Amino acid sequence: MSLDPVQVMSGQVKELKVGPSSNGDSRGSWDEKEEIDQDNVGLTTKPKPVTGRRTRKVEGGVFFPKPENAVTVAVSSRVLFRTEREQKVFEQDGVEEYLRFQIEHENEPFTPGPAFPFVKALEAVNCRLRELYPQSEELFDIVLVTYNHAHVGIRLINTINHHNLFIERFCMTGGSSPIGYLKAWQTNLYLSADADKVREALSEGIAAATMFTSEKVTEVSESQLRVAFDGDAVLFSDESERIFKAHGLDKFFEHERDNEDTLLDHGPLKGFLEALGKLQKKFYAKGQRLDCPIRTYLVTARSAASSGIRALKTLRAWGLEIDEALFLAGAPKGPMLEKIRPHIYFDDQMFHVEGAAEMGTVAAHVPYGIAQKHNAKQNISVRK
Amino acid sequence: VGVAFPLLQALQRVNGRLLEENPSESLLFDVVLITSDSQQQQQSSRIISNTRHHGLEISRFCFSSEEDFTESLLKNNVHLFLTTDRDEAAQASQKGVFSALLNGKVASSEQLRVVFCGDAVIRTDAEPPSASQDAAQSFWAQLGEMRRRFGMLDSPLSLVLLTSRGGRESCGTALQTLRSRGVNMDEAYSLAGAPRSPILSLLRPHFLLINHLED
Repeated sequence: MSLDPVQVMSGQVKELKVGPSSNGDSRGSWDEKEEIDQDNVGLTTKPKPVTGRRTRKVEGGVFFPKPENAVTVAVSSRVLFRTEREQKVFEQDGVEEYLRFQIEHENEPFTPGPAFPFVKALEAVNCRLRELYPQSEELFDIVLVTYNHAHVGIRLINTINHHNLFIERFCMTGGSSPIGYLKAWQTNLYLSADADKVREALSEGIAAATMFTSEKVTEVSESQLRVAFDGDAVLFSDESERIFKAHGLDKFFEHERDNEDTLLDHGPLKGFLEALGKLQKKFYAKGQRLDCPIRTYLVTARSAASSGIRALKTLRAWGLEIDEALFLAGAPKGPMLEKIRPHIYFDDQMFHVEGAAEMGTVAAHVPYGIAQKHNAKQNISVRK
Repeated sequence: VGVAFPLLQALQRVNGRLLEENPSESLLFDVVLITSDSQQQQQSSRIISNTRHHGLEISRFCFSSEEDFTESLLKNNVHLFLTTDRDEAAQASQKGVFSALLNGKVASSEQLRVVFCGDAVIRTDAEPPSASQDAAQSFWAQLGEMRRRFGMLDSPLSLVLLTSRGGRESCGTALQTLRSRGVNMDEAYSLAGAPRSPILSLLRPHFLLINHLED
């Protein structure tokens, strides 16, 4: 159904000819021969299963999962790699100079950024999944989504090669918003240095968090992916936090006690925890519960004896398991996180994100809920 | 207005900006309107005045019969033939005219957006290039030259690379190959097997350049 092979005629003058169709434009769609999905270009980007299409095989037997089957993690170039020097050139000298600089340093790979260990850990999990389920497409799929120009593309590809990362999919949007592409890739998690883009993604229902570059980074496991979550306004909605902010701690406790058996509403990262849980179950099914290369943590200011109960009941009702739940009852999170050594920790409050970073934990900010208005009042400096 | 209307407006905008940069610019888009529909030919004067009325700059009108419209294309030294009719495109390409489909459903932007399917770009280096590939390359080279007349921001023309198969190496090689031919892409997308429609609907190209591809 696709075009027959076209031949081309060489000519001197550059011309375009437009031929009005006598048959209407119903056949003017760019469907590929092998694509069974007959969607015309321009329709909704709602996920639609491409039925009947077999797993694609590429050289070396390594295949690329269909976006709807994989757990897609989209990362921007500024969090995957360290690009501060280039950022400065951009800010001080403008885009043309920035691109010239990038091309000049094309063969110089970037150094790892805050999301780098996380991505490496995702790949480690993929290796284990492939061993157990060689034909499955339920894997992590890492997509580089950047609003860089394609001029930077070669340097980014060289860097990916240099660090031996398995990233085959990317979108370099040349300045336009990457948010639409996140949806097209059915992104399960988006990590970026740009808080505005992250907020936009969250408002579109995509789990997202802002990452920062920190000088102090503690070593993390290379074989086990560890992901830690705050509870309120991350896994759960910010309803309880609203009570706390408006009426104080006592009211908060009272409210939680009274509503112990009412489920909390879900928060922006619930879906990602769910996706992790699905992959964990694949390991359990093969008897690898103790040796599971994915471990999840809840690190919350709630206390175990009281307000924590509601959180646990909610998780259980959602059918989500979390490996370790740490109820700090208001104690600082930094030291606990330093013990856990997660590859990434999600929190809605910059205060905690910075506290974690001070102790070397890679923390990502989820700009969601009532805490954001509170943060705006405090003059917190954000390192980018 | 018809399907190609936004495209012609975008082409004209590019021409306008090119002439702004250099009033004696010779590398411009030249649009020829061709129809083999006899009904439309009877209305030729209406068509011509309509195009004027809408401010479309069309340098030539070609009214030919169905049998020899491809002859007209060849005679007029056409670089690229655009149509919404798949059969017409197939016919023209069989006769050796570089053709592409205009998709009627895509919302078009002010900026002229051209998408190259990079999977075709790579193979040209692996084997001795055929005449068709040579011509395609010269077309791209001219587009590349046109693109260089403008800066990075606020360009009326955007060149987009899309590789459907293969991974980052394919895309990277395509970027380098194109650059070596003087064509610098603005955007690049590597799909590595993911479905094209969602991405294409976001890219909103005015036309999609697919060179000869087997499979």
